[in-house]
Amino acid sequence: MAVERVAVTDRAAFLRRREYRALRVLALLGIVVLWELVTRTGWVSSLFLPSPLSVIGELADMARSGQLFVHLGVSLRRLLWGFTLGAAGGIAVGVSTGFFSRMEAVGQPLIAATFPIPKIALLPLLILWLGIGEPSKVAVIALGVFFPMAINTYAGVRQADPLLVRAAVAFGAGRWSVIRKVVLPSALPMIFAGLKLGAGTALLLLVAAEMIAADSGIGFLVLHAGNIMDTTKLMVGIVCLSVLGVLSHWALTGLERAAIPWRHTS
Amino acid sequence: MRSGKRWVVCVSLGALMATGLAAPAHAQPKTRIGALKLSSSAPLFIGVDKGFFKEFGVDPELVFFQAAAPIATALATGQIDVGATGVTAALYNIVLGGEQMWIVADKGREWPGYPLTGIVVQKELYDSGVRSIADLKGKRIGITTLGSTFHYHLGNILEKSGLKLADVRVVPLQTMAAAIEALKGRQVDAILLPQPFPATAEAQGFGKILFWAGDLYPWQVATVFYSKKFAADRTRAVDFMKGYVKASRYYHDAVLGQRDGRPAPGANYDEVVAITAKYTEARPEAIRLGFPFQDRNGRLLVTDIQRQMQWWTENGFMKRPIPLKGIVDTSFVEEAAKAVPEK
Repeated sequence: MAVERVAVTDRAAFLRRREYRALRVLALLGIVVLWELVTRTGWVSSLFLPSPLSVIGELADMARSGQLFVHLGVSLRRLLWGFTLGAAGGIAVGVSTGFFSRMEAVGQPLIAATFPIPKIALLPLLILWLGIGEPSKVAVIALGVFFPMAINTYAGVRQADPLLVRAAVAFGAGRWSVIRKVVLPSALPMIFAGLKLGAGTALLLLVAAEMIAADSGIGFLVLHAGNIMDTTKLMVGIVCLSVLGVLSHWALTGLERAAIPWRHTS
Repeated sequence: MRSGKRWVVCVSLGALMATGLAAPAHAQPKTRIGALKLSSSAPLFIGVDKGFFKEFGVDPELVFFQAAAPIATALATGQIDVGATGVTAALYNIVLGGEQMWIVADKGREWPGYPLTGIVVQKELYDSGVRSIADLKGKRIGITTLGSTFHYHLGNILEKSGLKLADVRVVPLQTMAAAIEALKGRQVDAILLPQPFPATAEAQGFGKILFWAGDLYPWQVATVFYSKKFAADRTRAVDFMKGYVKASRYYHDAVLGQRDGRPAPGANYDEVVAITAKYTEARPEAIRLGFPFQDRNGRLLVTDIQRQMQWWTENGFMKRPIPLKGIVDTSFVEEAAKAVPEK
């Protein structure tokens, strides 16, 4: 018996996500070329919008003089300290409020009350408490990272499948064993989402952190170039911030793949 | 019903816009002056308050800013016609970036015998023997921002005493209030701030005025700027300057008189204090502490502008100096000073 094949159109085809890698690169390049043209023709003054080539030139100059690496090094140290302290604190608070109901009763209202405070508004207080040195700068970043971390971790812990928890208990797991082997792994995706959010927040707050009494750092560079209207240097600082953002996202995505292998089987 | 209501709204909005647009079309355009709420803007306040600008057919409108640098930006983008504030690295870099504007008149100098900016040290340091600029070596000195007039002044004072900027630790604290707090909290050893902050620090006992910066290094700290468009409108630009010269003479005669090195207030001293208090919203006692010196006719120290650009370039804040002809135009103030009669 012959089998008759009937072509069926996939009516859900519009839902299929294609990669369009070439388009991604072209779009980015196109914008840069357009930007260069707009400034080249003098249609927009180079003061208001420095051309990409002049920004690259300035970047190369600053790299050659070593100035760029001084700024990057100082900022990276502040970012790493702030991020590490904020993330560690956030995860600890998130896990404990998510797991222990007494901690939740104490912690949740506190977080709800302190989360909406703009960290920049706290800057004068932080300076009074911690001085104008490194601690106050690290503290601004750490505070910014802490809240998304604590809230995400809490949500992740609460999401743990009760059935899995019960199963683990039925197999004789103790309290710590349940936390370590069931609750934490199932909270990991949310924790990583929090880390990515936190990394972005850390970069956002870098400029605020380096507002007071800083004489180096990428945030300082952006502020200082703005103060003296050196818009090309300003763009160099902005490009550095955005590259740092992309790199931190990549690094965290890589870490996520390694830490949660069961989510990325492809 | 609903569409009917909307129609009414449309008509009334239209009428509102029509009247709003029609009004300025008959009057002459206002001359927008960007300034800070400081005693050093007093000549402008006098010109506006006593109608000196109106006398020469100029309708002034004061636009207040929080810091000097944004005034230069607003001038470059044409949001104001005239700027009156400190000359910062930002202003020079805007002109260097191709946005033309002109430095046209004096608006205040750091000058010997006229206390304006003070170098204030912590009381304990003063008591332990810090008495000269050389003693400041290695100390933390708070200013507002790098590239500000204070930064320039500090650098030049240090150089005059045989030190360099690198011999002290310059701490940028963004605002004057933050700088005074940092001195109080002992996070810096000294600060460079204008009145009334030095007087306050001394009155509260945590600071001691070491020197008045103008006594150590006089310079053209503030000027009047014209936007490119305003400078091109020659008649209006000169008319504005006539009002400014008249106000400047009034200011000079009222508050800058000195006899044997002591202030000798003129007849209109109290009036100028009152006008300045009204516009700056500061207490009259704070204003009485001192008015900055400026030329009686508003003439500039042109050579000092050259010197400033050189210093900013040497210290890496400017790529290169601008030729004086490309940034200074004294013809307005010269023409106005001749045209305005002495009383």
